Amino acid sequence: MLEVKNLFLKKGDFVLHKLSFKIEKNSYFVLLGQTGSGKTMLLESIAGLQNIEGSIFFDGKDITNLPPEKRNFGFVYQSFLLFPNMNVKDNIIYSSRFKKIKDADKLFDDLVDFLHIKHLLKRDTNHLSGGERQRIAIARAIYSRPKLLLLDEPLSAVDPTFRNSIMKSLKDLIKRYDITILHVTHNFREASFLADCVAVMIDGKILQTGGAYEVLNEPNNIEVAKFLGFKNVFPTSILGFNQKNKFFTIDPSRIKFGDKPRDDIYCFPCVIENILGISDHYKIFAKVGNDTFFCKVHENGFEKKVLKEGDKTNIYIDRKDISFI
Amino acid sequence: MVFIFLSSILVLFLTVPLIKLFLSVGFLNIFKTIQDKEVYESIFLTLKSAFYAVVFVCITGIPLAYLIARHDFWGKSLFEAILDIPVMVPHTAAGIALLIAFSNGYFNFIDTTTGIVSAMMFLSAPFLINGAKEGFKKVDIRYEHVARTLGANKFRVFFSIALPNARNDILNGALMMWSRGLGEFGAVVIVAYHPMVAPVLIYDRFNSFGLKYSAPVAAAMILVSVFIFLAIRFVNNRIK
Repeated sequence: MLEVKNLFLKKGDFVLHKLSFKIEKNSYFVLLGQTGSGKTMLLESIAGLQNIEGSIFFDGKDITNLPPEKRNFGFVYQSFLLFPNMNVKDNIIYSSRFKKIKDADKLFDDLVDFLHIKHLLKRDTNHLSGGERQRIAIARAIYSRPKLLLLDEPLSAVDPTFRNSIMKSLKDLIKRYDITILHVTHNFREASFLADCVAVMIDGKILQTGGAYEVLNEPNNIEVAKFLGFKNVFPTSILGFNQKNKFFTIDPSRIKFGDKPRDDIYCFPCVIENILGISDHYKIFAKVGNDTFFCKVHENGFEKKVLKEGDKTNIYIDRKDISFI
Repeated sequence: MVFIFLSSILVLFLTVPLIKLFLSVGFLNIFKTIQDKEVYESIFLTLKSAFYAVVFVCITGIPLAYLIARHDFWGKSLFEAILDIPVMVPHTAAGIALLIAFSNGYFNFIDTTTGIVSAMMFLSAPFLINGAKEGFKKVDIRYEHVARTLGANKFRVFFSIALPNARNDILNGALMMWSRGLGEFGAVVIVAYHPMVAPVLIYDRFNSFGLKYSAPVAAAMILVSVFIFLAIRFVNNRIK
């Protein structure tokens, strides 16, 4: 198990603010964050490539001051960084120059088979596609038999048509090679497909950590909610609560429109600001006081309502559809 | 069209003297000159001294170039500028400086091969250091990071990743340094008139016997240098 305690790093203007989190053994941990939020720097810190303050423990042992070559963590960068002075096979078996690899031949054959790279082994690394480079970088990292695999945006340079199959392969790595994975990305879909646990990182701070479903569906603060793409994040004062700095969110497709005021649900008079037709649904922006609600109405439902821009009407929000942040 | 015209002027300026030299001397005469013991010993001494200088700077200057390329430290720009000073100073002044620094009784310097090597090295080392430095800068440091996570320590990362991937720039720098060393006259003539390296021999024959006797030596020296230069390039391309 990896445990990071109060990890602090300052580089130029950028700071990792005393980060603490744990990653369970043989789990798939996804660190979600925008570009420039410090994800790569955090991975490099865990790998021992940055001088940090704080502590890092692995399987109960303090590895904070251990050099990278002694940590036994694999690292796959976003651009894969295959060594240009070696062919594909030499890249994969590079680690065998420095340490004894258990069942090396068997592992090599298994990786070649699992990642479908047999036809690439004699190739020069300059003549490979993004997906091929990615598979070779992963094979190279796993061939060194790491206990923890650090993946830095591993799918960003891969053709979208292959992403699903690659994501499945990534998930399978854990059981097949008895490893733990820390994967950083800005892509929610990757996180939701791959992660057992998710942490959200914004501006060098980890703002929420937890189970994948919990983090992706129940953000615990407004920054995480906005980052995760939640629409309609508003202060609870709209609902009549007096708490400051409390917010709620409502799924755009759960908002309904109606002419008559109602008391059994939240009902707000609104003015229709804008209506955009998108294939099978309409995006409607409705102004309630100073706030604009974003609503999605299915094509069939919309035709019955016959709303036009500038119309005065009401939006209905059922209490059960509200998520408090 | 204008660019081609302007380029042609420079290309002619650079090539005509060499072509004229070879045509006026003639290849038979060059061949005869190379068989002259004084000439071939002088050319061999020049090649050997320049090579020793390159080897010494490879051993000491490549690690220095790597440190400069990979680390930022206070006064780095000033330090780099100091390393470039030998390129800027007049060569005879460099020779005088070397004499003052090393002819102290402990170091057999004047009129020795060591003195020649030192003079060549002093003035041409920046070519190799700068070439290697640029080469190392071009190698993404993250290659080295990956190598370290795969079990290589810093020393082995240097030899297995940094050095092979900066090889072309280092080789170019080494060739530049070597060729610069071959042509070194000003500093060498102050430190060691004897034994005579080729540029000193050419100067000596020109002063004593005139153009007719110095030109074949000059042509022979250029021919041998170009041959070795092309051979190294060819071997490097084959390895690539």
